[in-house]
Amino acid sequence: MIIIEIAGKRSVPVIVERVEKADFRNITKSRFSFRWEELTKVAELYKLVFADKPIIIGLMALIDFPSECRIEIKLLASSVENVGKGKQYEGIAGCLIAYAAKKSIENYSSLASISLMPKTEIRQHYIKKYNMKPAGQHVFLEGGALLNLVNIYDI
Amino acid sequence: MSVRKIFEKYTNEEIAHAFIIPAKLTLKQQKEADRELAEALKKSRLSLTDEQRLYGDLLQLRFQLETYLKQDHFDPTLTFGHFLNRYLKVINKKKKEFAEEIQIHETLLSHLINDRREPNENIMVRLELHSNNVIPAVYWYKLAEKEKEHHIKTDSAIRKRESQFISGRLPAFA
Repeated sequence: MIIIEIAGKRSVPVIVERVEKADFRNITKSRFSFRWEELTKVAELYKLVFADKPIIIGLMALIDFPSECRIEIKLLASSVENVGKGKQYEGIAGCLIAYAAKKSIENYSSLASISLMPKTEIRQHYIKKYNMKPAGQHVFLEGGALLNLVNIYDI
Repeated sequence: MSVRKIFEKYTNEEIAHAFIIPAKLTLKQQKEADRELAEALKKSRLSLTDEQRLYGDLLQLRFQLETYLKQDHFDPTLTFGHFLNRYLKVINKKKKEFAEEIQIHETLLSHLINDRREPNENIMVRLELHSNNVIPAVYWYKLAEKEKEHHIKTDSAIRKRESQFISGRLPAFA
C-alpha cells in the first residue's frame, strides 16, 4: 500500500498492523483526536505506519459481525498533521478503509462487506469517494465495489 | 480535539478525507439502522455475479495465504498441498481438468496435493498464470520454503544420518 507525500509528490509505502499495548504511549488525544484506549473493550484497533519506520499516522477501530459477514469501521482518524489543507500525506483514510475491506474478504470471501455509520453531514462524501451505498444511517460496501477498493489500494 | 472542534476547524470534505466519526444514535435508532443495513446487504448480495463470487473466493485464499506466510509459526496442516487443494475447490475444477489446464500429469497433481512431491518453480509460475496473477508464484514459493525451513530446523533423523559423513568437527565453543 502507498500514500502520497503532497510536497514531494512521491509514493510512500505504508503497512497496517494491530495496535499493541506499548503503542498507547504515542497515541494521544492531541495527535489522534479521540481516547482510543477506551475502544479496546469493544473493537480491534489497527495502525497505519510507514513501511520503514514505526511512526503511526492513522488509526482505525473495527468491530466484526460474523453472523452478518460484515466488519464495521467504528472510528478512524488520521494524525493531526494529516488533516485539512496543510496535510503532509494523502490517502491515509483510504488505505485503512481498504485494509478493513481486505480483512472482511479474508473472513467472508465473496459475502464480505464493510460498513460505517458516519455523521449525517459527511455521509455523502463517503458515498462519492469510495462508491459506498446508503442504507438508513449506515453506508456500506460489498460485492464488486468492495473488490475494486482492494484493487485500487493494491493491498 | 473534540468532535465539535473538528467540525468547526475543517470542512466536511476535509473531515471525510481524514476521519470516520460515528453518528450518535439512541438504542432504538441503532436497532432500526442495523435492520435497514441487514436488508440492504441481503438485497445487494443477491446481485453478485459468478465472476465476483469467484474473485472474492480467490482473494480470500490469497489473503489467508498472505497472513499465514507473515506468521512466524509453522502449522503442519497448512502445506503447499492444502492450499493447492483449496485452490481447486475455489475454482471448482476436478483434478483431471485442472491438470490438463496447467499441462501436468494428473498423478503429479495428486502427489502435490498430498504433499508427496515438492513443487518446482515451473509449477508455481503456472499456478500464478492460471489464477491470472491473483495468487503470485512467489507466495507458492514462500509456502514451500516455509515447510522446508521447518523441516531443516527440526529433523533430527537427518542430523543423525549425516553425522556419519563428518570426520572432523570444530571444538565446542564456550
